[in-house]
Amino acid sequence: MKIKATTFNRVLLGVVLAIALVIPLLIRTNQYNLVLVTTVLLYGVLATAWNIIGGMAGQLDLAAFAYLGLGAFTSGTLLIRWNVSPWIGMILGGLVATGFAVLVGFPLFRFKVREVWYALTSSALVEVLKVAFVMWEDVGGPVERYLPYYSFSLYHMRFGTYIPYYYIMLAILVIALLVNYRIGRSKLGFYLRALGEDEDAAEILGVDARACKLKALMIYAFIVGATGAVYACMYGFIHPSFFSGARSTEVAILGIVGGMGITYGPLLAAVILVSAREFLRASLGGQMESLYLVIYSVVLILIALFRPQGIAVFFQDAYRKLLSRVTGDEHVLKANTPGI
Amino acid sequence: MSSKPILQVSNLTKRFGNLVAVNNVTLQIHEGEIVGLIGPNGAGKTTFFNTITGLYTPDEGRVIFKGEDITGVPPHKICKLGMSRTFQVTKAFTEMTVEETVRVGAYNRHGEDDVMEKVDEVISFCGLEEIRHQKCGDLGLASLRRVELARAMATEPDLLLLDEAGAGLTAAELAELMEILRQLNKEQSVTLCVVEHVMQMVMGLCERIFVLDAGELIAEGTPEEISNNPRVIEAYLGERAIR
Amino acid sequence: MDTVVQSLLNGALMGCVYALITLGLSLIFGVMNVVNFAHGDFVMLSMYFAFFIGSMWGVDAVFTPAITFPLLFIVGVVAYYAIIDGTLRQKYVTQIAVTVGLMTFLRAITQLMWKAQPRALPYSLIQGSIHIAGYNIMLSRLISAVVSILAIGGVSLFLSKTWPGRAIRAASDDLDAASLVGVNYRWTYALAFGLGSALTAIAGGLLMTFQQVDPTMGVRFGLLSWCVLALAGLGSIPGLLISGIIVGAAESLSMALWDPRARSLIVYLIFILVLWVRPRGLFGRK
Repeated sequence: MKIKATTFNRVLLGVVLAIALVIPLLIRTNQYNLVLVTTVLLYGVLATAWNIIGGMAGQLDLAAFAYLGLGAFTSGTLLIRWNVSPWIGMILGGLVATGFAVLVGFPLFRFKVREVWYALTSSALVEVLKVAFVMWEDVGGPVERYLPYYSFSLYHMRFGTYIPYYYIMLAILVIALLVNYRIGRSKLGFYLRALGEDEDAAEILGVDARACKLKALMIYAFIVGATGAVYACMYGFIHPSFFSGARSTEVAILGIVGGMGITYGPLLAAVILVSAREFLRASLGGQMESLYLVIYSVVLILIALFRPQGIAVFFQDAYRKLLSRVTGDEHVLKANTPGI
Repeated sequence: MSSKPILQVSNLTKRFGNLVAVNNVTLQIHEGEIVGLIGPNGAGKTTFFNTITGLYTPDEGRVIFKGEDITGVPPHKICKLGMSRTFQVTKAFTEMTVEETVRVGAYNRHGEDDVMEKVDEVISFCGLEEIRHQKCGDLGLASLRRVELARAMATEPDLLLLDEAGAGLTAAELAELMEILRQLNKEQSVTLCVVEHVMQMVMGLCERIFVLDAGELIAEGTPEEISNNPRVIEAYLGERAIR
Repeated sequence: MDTVVQSLLNGALMGCVYALITLGLSLIFGVMNVVNFAHGDFVMLSMYFAFFIGSMWGVDAVFTPAITFPLLFIVGVVAYYAIIDGTLRQKYVTQIAVTVGLMTFLRAITQLMWKAQPRALPYSLIQGSIHIAGYNIMLSRLISAVVSILAIGGVSLFLSKTWPGRAIRAASDDLDAASLVGVNYRWTYALAFGLGSALTAIAGGLLMTFQQVDPTMGVRFGLLSWCVLALAGLGSIPGLLISGIIVGAAESLSMALWDPRARSLIVYLIFILVLWVRPRGLFGRK
């Protein structure tokens, strides 16, 4: 029996989603594994959001945890000081991150800070924010600020187990993927991809590079900032170390090795690489501490060197073969079907 | 020939440090024309294009397009007004397919609901159906030049500037390209300005020709006038003869 | 007032070492246009090598470059042929991904070998300080600055007077023309990358005379050297020195007058400001 391609797509998506929904129930007793899968989702969200500014628009942003930290501090401080629910904090955190993105992005894009210099500036921003928050004793400071503890409070987004955080993160991931998918098929998406390839050529075709880049940066910052609120609740405190340059760089690397501009590429990279890294860390542990990082970095280098198109391309090919077998349609093997 | 000017360039000057790449150039292009811009290597043709289309800001002079002063206006706004161009060194969107590339241009005047109609129209006009779903990075030079033309056409310009669109093409490919350009000019009344090294193409296509040498406009006229102009022979053809 | 002059002096001396580090980066970026995110970690690696040699054989840190310079040169050349060469024709994002991988690798290796805690050598020959007009100048910093300037001068001479040096400059000016006149670009690039990395060995040895090292230092030196490079622009070696001194002085001034924690803040703010206001740097030719 032959099935239509769209049906097959839906079934596949359904199966993946069902697995994602069931995972925490299978490992619910093991908090360590729950943290692990939630972390994978977190990186999935960040890398998926990064895909908008980095993958599509080609702006190598290395400041993911700057926006995440701003969201975390906004929502965390609101909760600690005024008992504002993190659900509202999420929106406000997203807005603060977006505001900061405009503040930074406007002059950067205005002065045509491009490529490596944009990457370095954004990387410097994370460090600037870290120091600034260490020095700003009213909100940050060198000591952790703990969020109020509740064993299960929906209002405070505080739970004694990681399972709810997993589902919240999964929901954000689905939203981030949908946003990505929508943008990828809209005028903005085409414009972003065009200017990511060649800014001059895109401008000549009527693309307002500055406005488009700023839009992309704002959307990315909002998603990441909102995620920051959940991040703070999950960890139970806020601290300037949230502004981590190394982790921000990792998000960009996941986006690159996943496959620039492919909707599910960064997520795929996050799922494979972050879980592999954590698995290595757990199994090597002990005296061979940081050996996992050696292996991890070698793998990164090899992927970047030999698969510069990203690992998603592998899956695209495999998927097409599968699709052609299921639907009996040879055509899908050749057809360029973006986003699958 | 209509006499209404579509583009008026007056006293345009562009310097890079001490080098004057475009020196005090004044010229007019009329609606519906096909004009050529020729000159030896380094004469400032590409700089002239870049300055008109907003990639560079001129140091002196003004550019008036359809009665509107566009001096120093960013390229995307100039494109909205109805001027587009191709590049000498092709600037292809290597990771995008031909269809997607054309779509970027088509969004200039079309929304989501009718953008694909425009894309289909341009793709069939330029004869790109065969390679529609191929990535631009996988295409050869002749196809790339045609895709560049297509995406510029998709923006629905009134004036289209072509920077060495014929360079590196075989005689057959060149003839095809010229045919497309003639059709474009006749059927869609697009004014064309062609920068070219391939004399065959300029002479066969253009009604009027401008000659640039060392950044200065040294002659203008019909192809016959130009090929008999002693200054042009000295500057341009003379260079050929020496080679 | 005294503190201002004193910290300006300290910072300026430190800035000379920054300039030396940045010279290495500028060779790599300027010549082959490779975005090397791992440069700061080469400094960190050099410092660990200096520590290792110093503590094992009791050699004073100032003399360690005699061994670490060729060592880092080899590391640089190997890194070039193993990974950088393959990225030359790739987009810059791939280069960044690869050098970030290299950065993580170097950091992980040093963590593996020397654990995460800071390391320092017990003493150096060039301890103590001299007093001039009421100001205190640490001998180690003074000598570091002098050696850095000498090294910068040496590289400058190497680039202008020797045949391999001129080949490097030719390759940076125009790769096509350079290949035409018979310069093998891979060989030249490997040389530039090796030399760029080896310069961090001198800096690393000097830094170890008055500083400790830990694996996170790479990030600081990485961003710092990009900052100095942005300020100086490409192509001017004296400009590099002046920019290094400006950054060093600004850093030390902010520590003395504002808050010790503000030191990196000020560096990054300069960096961001320069990119906004003058993208080609103070002395850049492009």
